[in-house]
Amino acid sequence: MRQPSPRRRVAASPRRPIAASLLRRVLIDSVGGRPYTPSYNPCLYWHVRVSDKRGSLRKKHEMEPALQVASDESRTAPPDHQAGELPRQPVVLIEANRRWAALDFAALWQYRELFYFLMWRDVKVRYKQTMFGVLWAILQPLVTMLIFTYFFGRLARVPADGIPYPLFFYAGLVLWTFFSNAVSNAANSLLGNTNLITKVYFPRIIIPGATVGAGLLDFAIAAALLVGLLFAYRFPLTKGDLLLLPLVLLVTLLAFAVGVLLAALNVRYRDIRYALPFLINIWMFVSPIIYPSSLVPAEWRWVLALNPVTGIVEAFRASLFERPVAWGPLAYSAGFTLVLLGVASVAFQQMERYFAEDI
Amino acid sequence: MKPIIEVQNLSKRYRLDPTGKSSVRYATLRESLAAAMRKPFARWRGNGQRKGEIIWALDDVSFDVMPGEVLGVIGSNGAGKSTLLAILSRIIEPSGGRAALYGRVASLLEVGTGFHPDLSGRENIFLNGAVLGMRRREIEARFDEIVAFAEVEAFIDTAVKRYSSGMYVRLAFAVAAHLDPEILILDEVLAVGDASFQKKCLGKMDDVTRSGRTVLLVSHNLAMVSQLCERAILLQHGRIDAMGPAASVVAHYLASLDATPGLS
Repeated sequence: MRQPSPRRRVAASPRRPIAASLLRRVLIDSVGGRPYTPSYNPCLYWHVRVSDKRGSLRKKHEMEPALQVASDESRTAPPDHQAGELPRQPVVLIEANRRWAALDFAALWQYRELFYFLMWRDVKVRYKQTMFGVLWAILQPLVTMLIFTYFFGRLARVPADGIPYPLFFYAGLVLWTFFSNAVSNAANSLLGNTNLITKVYFPRIIIPGATVGAGLLDFAIAAALLVGLLFAYRFPLTKGDLLLLPLVLLVTLLAFAVGVLLAALNVRYRDIRYALPFLINIWMFVSPIIYPSSLVPAEWRWVLALNPVTGIVEAFRASLFERPVAWGPLAYSAGFTLVLLGVASVAFQQMERYFAEDI
Repeated sequence: MKPIIEVQNLSKRYRLDPTGKSSVRYATLRESLAAAMRKPFARWRGNGQRKGEIIWALDDVSFDVMPGEVLGVIGSNGAGKSTLLAILSRIIEPSGGRAALYGRVASLLEVGTGFHPDLSGRENIFLNGAVLGMRRREIEARFDEIVAFAEVEAFIDTAVKRYSSGMYVRLAFAVAAHLDPEILILDEVLAVGDASFQKKCLGKMDDVTRSGRTVLLVSHNLAMVSQLCERAILLQHGRIDAMGPAASVVAHYLASLDATPGLS
């Protein structure tokens, strides 16, 4: 197929126009004043490029570089203070068509500092140049709570399982605000860090991870107000409240799993960006945030519990207000979260390889 | 001696969409679903081959780099230089071939990657250092050196968006210049700022290249390549066109420019 063309010497053309000659002069001067002479390159082989019509990968045969000049000892000699022995195994191995790579925990551990720095950056940057600063973390759920208390509590008289309305709504809203912000920020995080993705290597999953992690600070601040409200309404702290920590962990993992999946899809399909606010809105209404799941007839409650957020929010309220925890829906939520985590990380790993090209 | 970088038959293929749109950019879910619906038929019709012109950004590139060597990569625009560096930096995946790197790699495809305009100079040094793969302790140890090199001592706690563009790139280069990997991959990022700082950058680069580190350098600045590099590769249309001592390869490149009809 490919035939080496006859040897050709690159010789200075005797009738080179003045402009080209000038250009060459300038270029050579920039090289260091060493003028080019044909004898400088002892042998030049020129290859004819044969384009493969099918363009497939089959056309891989050994190819010599067109020009292999005998190396000049004085320049190629390695420096004396040589680095020690090279490792036997490559530190980095780059191959085409890696399939089904599992999540590389070693690499993640290696880049833990970057994870920490990206999280720190998100926290630092979030309230820069704002007047209220970190108060925004409280303001958002607080104002929503007041509005909901008025419309759904006072006017519509939505039942709240005997819990004071402000407390009932705020407990759900704190958790929901964290979850929804984490999901939407994570989903947009890759697009917001295009410059990192196209210029530096690191496990990309760090980006949505750091975004979700940074949201935990807002959650902690908003939760401080929840603790204040609990005291104001004379709800004591009990052993049941110990369940809150695993619940927060669970909702974080769920937000991370959903966020990671949407983030990866968002790189290729920008539809996600437009569908997301809509999705978050719908999701809130199918979660027991502004109403208790007891509002739903008992025989249909399982439909509501298909939403993994339901079990977590209900258990969150139950442990805060000393009610019996519905373990069934909670176990389902936990199982759902773990499965989704696995699916999301494998899917992310697959799509990650094309992020730099797609984004 | 064993090479520290082995590149074997590395290829990268891009497909141009016949509709004029790039096949991946801003694809909508609808387009994808539609394509999936058509796919079974397309497979029968076109024998599994999708339409679209294929571009080999890199075509069967093989070379070795010895430890401590400084290798220049030159070539015209679109010759595949950046694709090669992006693959070696693990930013994009090759379509074929393999590359093995036997050392810690830091790649610098751009100055100031990850800089955030709202953060101060101090904060950005830590952030950028972490992005480039430096450990927190390393950054702390070199912090004063970096600040002094960038000559921004007085503004270290000012947000970088208030910096002049010169200060900004100086700080960015300073962080990058204090990286300490075994393999350094550089893409045209050198010599930023005014003349005196450029000189400082080149001096620093010279130190780096003499310190026994392996460097892969892509540049259009042929003078710099022949000055800093021992060996060079000339890429043309994704293939290695010439490989050898930097000066000869540069000379060969210049000669091939002369031979191009468009120029004469």
